[in-house]
Amino acid sequence: MTNPFSTEAAGLQGRHNAETIFKLSGLTAIVCAIGFLVFMVGSIAWTGSGALRESHVQLSIDLGPEKVDPSNVEAASYQTIVRDALKERFPEVTNRRDRRKLYGLLSPDAALELEQYVLDNPSVVGGVADIWLLASDDLDIYLKGDVKTELDESRRKFSDLEIGLADSLVQEGQTRRQFNTRFFTNGDSREPELAGILSSLIGSFFSLLVCFVISFPMGVCAAIYLEEFAKKNRVSEFIEVNINNLAAVPSIVFGLLGLAIFLNFFGLPRSSPLVGGMVLALMTLPTIIIASRAALRAVPPSIREAALGIGASKIQTTFHHVAPLALPGMLTGAIVGMARALGETAPLLMIGMVAFIADVPKGILDSATALPVQIFLWADAPQRAFEEKTSAAIIVLLLFLVLMNLLAVLLRRKFERRF
Amino acid sequence: MLNNSVESEKKMAEVETALNSDGPIIQAKDVSVFYGEKQALFDVNLDFEKNQVTSLIGPSGCGKSTFLRCINRMNDLVDIARVKGEIIIANQDIYAKDVDVVALRAHVGMVFQKPNPFPKSIYDNVAYGPRIHKTVSTKDEMDYVVERSLKRAGLWDEVSDRLDQPGNGLSGGQQQRLCIARAIAIEPQVVLMDEPCSALDPIATAVVEELIDELRERFTIIIVTHSMQQAARVSQKTAFFHLGNLVEHGDTDQIFTNPQDDRTENYITGRIG
Ligand SMILES: Nc1ncnc2c1ncn2[C@@H]1O[C@H](COP(=O)(O)OP(=O)(O)O)[C@@H](O)[C@H]1O
Ligand SMILES: [Mg+2]
Repeated sequence: MTNPFSTEAAGLQGRHNAETIFKLSGLTAIVCAIGFLVFMVGSIAWTGSGALRESHVQLSIDLGPEKVDPSNVEAASYQTIVRDALKERFPEVTNRRDRRKLYGLLSPDAALELEQYVLDNPSVVGGVADIWLLASDDLDIYLKGDVKTELDESRRKFSDLEIGLADSLVQEGQTRRQFNTRFFTNGDSREPELAGILSSLIGSFFSLLVCFVISFPMGVCAAIYLEEFAKKNRVSEFIEVNINNLAAVPSIVFGLLGLAIFLNFFGLPRSSPLVGGMVLALMTLPTIIIASRAALRAVPPSIREAALGIGASKIQTTFHHVAPLALPGMLTGAIVGMARALGETAPLLMIGMVAFIADVPKGILDSATALPVQIFLWADAPQRAFEEKTSAAIIVLLLFLVLMNLLAVLLRRKFERRF
Repeated sequence: MLNNSVESEKKMAEVETALNSDGPIIQAKDVSVFYGEKQALFDVNLDFEKNQVTSLIGPSGCGKSTFLRCINRMNDLVDIARVKGEIIIANQDIYAKDVDVVALRAHVGMVFQKPNPFPKSIYDNVAYGPRIHKTVSTKDEMDYVVERSLKRAGLWDEVSDRLDQPGNGLSGGQQQRLCIARAIAIEPQVVLMDEPCSALDPIATAVVEELIDELRERFTIIIVTHSMQQAARVSQKTAFFHLGNLVEHGDTDQIFTNPQDDRTENYITGRIG
């Protein structure tokens, strides 16, 4: 007697095979996708982590009376003092060209930092003090082990002489590595060891603020009107189709529009977060409208009937009952839209937010740049040390994106209602 | 949209007196309803008496809800719906140009098939009507109205200690009684109910049916039901619809014991439906 339910039954084998193949290919696709993601984020994080450490060099610095006048500390030439200290540490370096390389071990800002240090600690004036000073980007890279010493000298920037000097400092314990707070508190700089993301971060913040203030109320009002009040006819259908199309328009087009209208026609200030935010608002508006309409549509009609049935007017029904229920969904849509706007570079390039901005913007009318644009600028910079800065800035950007999306998810969870 | 308030108050007073006089409170004259091209109701003529419960029965899709929703103009919400004919409440054709549906619905309340309390507190559910119609002015008065409405809806004893809790946390039957309390809080003259018990279990249904009988003292009630037993239990008048036509109407006893039309007889004996 054969088993009628046997797996050997006619035709079953083929079906099982199809299922197995489908499952396997799906699994492969997922593993590949996760693999790529992990590889990408991992390599960026690996590169970027370097930017979070900076190198210092310790020098014994002569702050005697012939160098610093104790009654007028600020008048001293700290540049000379630092250079003298270097010359004293390495008396064997005499050649002018080599001297320049020697001075290049320290950041150009070392003199300024020394001055600040002396002003903060007046007790060091008059004697010799061991003081830590910021290393230049080239030395920093060498100390991080990123210089290929096996290469021929002519093919690398850090010469044999500099390597010798650096090794000597390391041997004497005159170098150290520290957490780099500068990266978060400085604006942009031509010197990689001084460059930070604060100015671009604040620029992004102001732009997003403007973007939200404009696009959220406008998007919500448009959505409420279209969903609750507009008659469903040809015109509203046409508008709906066009809003969906607008959401798919490449963002650079909105940049061009902003350039033509906000800058050239209205003459608003170039490179300002105000214009940046307005352009981003144009771009985000369709997203918010679509998300808000979906949120409104998700409010069950029975709520509207209940309100209308006891004589609430249309406006009362909408604003007392429907809109509050849809609000979390609308906010979620807005946050997702904002997250997209935060990562947007192209439209900002069009309106001039791509300038070199070292100062932290104080308002929405100051010249500013944005985080993704800063990444773009650093990725383009010739110095090698900007490579890790670029990666670190990308990490910060990704972090904010993840945070915003998390906020959206939390919001949805918290206010999700069963009607 | 808002009339001058003195005038609207005067109008309200007129409506009030007309509603309190004798004779049929609602008269439907040649009411036809179209959904786009499709006609759902054919020349319905039907009067409703004050302080009586009238059942609308008939097989599903025959136009009971459509007719009910004409009486407080809920059909206005359906873009493709078109209503012909007249419905006269208090000597006023409610489809006339100068009728404001907001004012109309303050006099003709509605309870829906599925309980649909607002996702707010029990108190706010009941207080919403009086609040938007500004029929009460002080907090004390509002407390009183809420209590009275909940008592009339037979829900007070069950919820008096948790008025601030969400209305949709109640059981189905309680939710439906909350919806009734919400509808009667603005003291309408007419309460329309569209299969109010179809989502309830038999025990909750019995409670609501009893309630309907009590409410008859104050309100005129029109109830759509697919249950003939329910129609027999709660109503004094019954109207039978079939394929968009009003086939027969009259005293409930007469309709159920001695129907004049074959279709009615077939329906109540279970041959169509
Ligand atoms: N919104 C609507 N759009 C189109 N047709 C409708 C709509 N509502 C009801 N109808 C149609 O009108 C007829 C009567 O429906 P309805 O009044 O809901 O019946 P009942 O309540 O008696 O079951 C049905 O044929 C139904 O298909
Ligand atoms: Mg129905």
